[in-house]
Amino acid sequence: MKVTIDPVTRIEGHLKVEVNIEDNIIKEAKCSADMYRGIEKALKGYDYLTAIQITQRTCGCCPYAQAEAAALAIENALGIELNKNGKLLRNMVIGAYKLKDYILHFYTLSSLDFINLNAILEYKGDDFKMIEFKKYVLSELSSKRVFPNPLFTQTYKKAYISSTNKNIFLIKSYLDSFEIIKQVSEMVKIFGAKSPHMTTIEAGGITTRPTADKLIKYINLAKDVKDFIHNHYFNDVLAVAKEFKEYFHIGKGVNNFLTFDTLLNLDDTYMFVGGFSKDYKFSLGIEPYEIVEYNDYAYYKEAGGYKPLELDNLTPIDFDEFKTNEKKYSWSKAPRYKGEVVEVGPAAIVINTYLSNKNPKLNKLVDKVNKELNITIEDYNSVMGRHLARAIISCLIIDKLLEDALNVDEGVLGFIQLPKVPSNVKGIGLTEATRGALAHFIDIGENGFINNYEMVVPTTWNISPKDNKDIPGALEEMLRGTYVKDEKNPIEIARIIRSIDPCLACAVH
Amino acid sequence: MDRREFLELTNKVLFTIFGTSFSMSELEAMENSNNKPDLIWIHSMSCDGCSTSFLGAELPFIDILSRFVNIVFHPTFMASDGENAMKILDNYESDNLIVVVEGALANKNMPHVCMMGERFVNDIVKDVAKKSNLIIAAGTCATFMGICDMKGMYTNATSLKYFLKDENIEKPLINLPTCPMKPNHLLYSIFYYIKHNKVPPLDLNLRPLRFFGNTVHERCIYYNDYQEKIFAKEIGDRGCLFKLGCQGPVTKCDCVKSNADYDKYNCIVNGHPCIGCASENFPRTILFKRSDDDREIEKYKDFKRI
Repeated sequence: MKVTIDPVTRIEGHLKVEVNIEDNIIKEAKCSADMYRGIEKALKGYDYLTAIQITQRTCGCCPYAQAEAAALAIENALGIELNKNGKLLRNMVIGAYKLKDYILHFYTLSSLDFINLNAILEYKGDDFKMIEFKKYVLSELSSKRVFPNPLFTQTYKKAYISSTNKNIFLIKSYLDSFEIIKQVSEMVKIFGAKSPHMTTIEAGGITTRPTADKLIKYINLAKDVKDFIHNHYFNDVLAVAKEFKEYFHIGKGVNNFLTFDTLLNLDDTYMFVGGFSKDYKFSLGIEPYEIVEYNDYAYYKEAGGYKPLELDNLTPIDFDEFKTNEKKYSWSKAPRYKGEVVEVGPAAIVINTYLSNKNPKLNKLVDKVNKELNITIEDYNSVMGRHLARAIISCLIIDKLLEDALNVDEGVLGFIQLPKVPSNVKGIGLTEATRGALAHFIDIGENGFINNYEMVVPTTWNISPKDNKDIPGALEEMLRGTYVKDEKNPIEIARIIRSIDPCLACAVH
Repeated sequence: MDRREFLELTNKVLFTIFGTSFSMSELEAMENSNNKPDLIWIHSMSCDGCSTSFLGAELPFIDILSRFVNIVFHPTFMASDGENAMKILDNYESDNLIVVVEGALANKNMPHVCMMGERFVNDIVKDVAKKSNLIIAAGTCATFMGICDMKGMYTNATSLKYFLKDENIEKPLINLPTCPMKPNHLLYSIFYYIKHNKVPPLDLNLRPLRFFGNTVHERCIYYNDYQEKIFAKEIGDRGCLFKLGCQGPVTKCDCVKSNADYDKYNCIVNGHPCIGCASENFPRTILFKRSDDDREIEKYKDFKRI
């Protein structure tokens, strides 16, 4: 039986997932990215610094990472190193944005797959927000309109947490999370100017001068956010994990994980380390030109496998070919690292950093959680493992942001003047976005104008179609073999898809 | 916060956005009205930035909006997905419908670059636009194509205004550029419509005059420095950012002018020259440069499709 979910809502962008189910087991899955703009190759002929502003506009959910990767690529090409404040302030902008994404993902986007919102009708307390929400749900349910507000009309039946108390507890956090997202957003704006699409991230640092009032405001907000993350977000994820223990075994993908260095410490080490692990054996370091992107199943005329910057043109197929070509099914390319399908994202960060033993704080926290839930590091390769990984990372990041904010030298600009316009240089920028490993490659030609640009984006790794050897992508692999209890009610599929937090606008760019 | 406080806050927010006040009884009547407008939000060739911006706004814009408007369809927030979601779009009947479109529209020769629910998003926009009473183009992409229309692109995306004209759909349209769209601009447009049942005063590009009447430059905190010819030579210097590539003089928006509480952060105050994200010509070939860099800042846009 063929089941199609299109559109997959509560993710970023246009994703279609089609699965073939036989005897309740998924035999094959196909993920199609449905929107194309062609930004990377369109950068040709634009000034090298525009890459920072334009590439971040590929995505409204993780723009900070695109901006950072582009800035790193340019700094790499020009051979610039940031000053102390530049490093700290950049962490403070991108770190805050990461937190916003993680909270948004768990509550706004994913929690409706676990919480039963109707439990609010049993609420007996006196919290204003909860009472208002209860009234709202009541009036919607009794409105007799054909469609009550679909924001709260859950699609799937009998798949949610059954305990009323737990539901109410989580609904309260769900409502509170909107408030926290606003606060984290403000943290981003203090030094980033706008959220999303921060202008102040530039090659050379952050253009905002860190005055005392700004720092105090940032620290005050960060303290509230820290309280929410440690006491609510982390515990909520644990509570959901305990309810849905079987989800530590559902959505298991390939055993290859790729991460890049991210969040620089002042001693030039990184908080989360880059590397590649295969079957839980970790090797430090990355060879960026080992990445190859395959287009056989993607809607492009150039159908081979290409290394970064190898192609300077990428032609979309026209409408007539689209109607007749049965083979191609996605706008997303299929990147492979050393020929392997890899998973990127929070689970990869936790697994790789844990295996590398470079961050004792992370290992300690992971060990504690593993003991409490009775799981191992290998179980992070699952639906619940990915949610848990986000919560663990968030706890560590918020602590680091507070530390960094206290280290900033007040009043000293975290920006260094760029050297004269460069010609004929190349650079690579590697970092971690919310959804995983992100690489930018820049080739600057005459007079500072871009010759060629390449973005290898996290969601492209995760939702990639088959490559030229017909090997399915990471999400397709996670879905394959999954047991679907009720084919008409395939909540397992929805949960697996949302666990990797796909971001389609990025993936295709 | 109780209900009374909430309404007072709403009143205050609307006051700072509108300049005129709603009375409490008016707000209460609007909240309890049986004829609240319905809102359908469609993502075309978008990055979700406008939705994210709306959700992350410092004031409870989304709470305010959700009490005075029924949000019927929004791909990022809605609980239902797949077929159930598409059914809402197809069957929703409303005599008071507002449609918000985020992102540029695909060219009619290449509709396959943007699809949802196994249909072309262009067709979906066409269908809901016909049923609607007011259409809002959210963000620079929907208004002027923004980054969906750069020099080397194959897609030839079009703006919402051009698309509607091409499809012969004559409905009131409000353009709200800036990348991402500012939440208060959307709130203003919707509340103006609820109160007066028509669009607010607009300029030739259909942007609300209240926000897009002046250039960023004309209301800039460094306007005096510009007049006195005090120019910053590098980031961090005192003075006007014009020589660093600032596009304030050619960009109409209320960024620096508005110092309301929810809108106090902006690029220029944070030390970065304006990159012109609200302008017709965004993105230009150079957005930020050294003051001694004399390369010309060029523009590229095919105004036939705006």
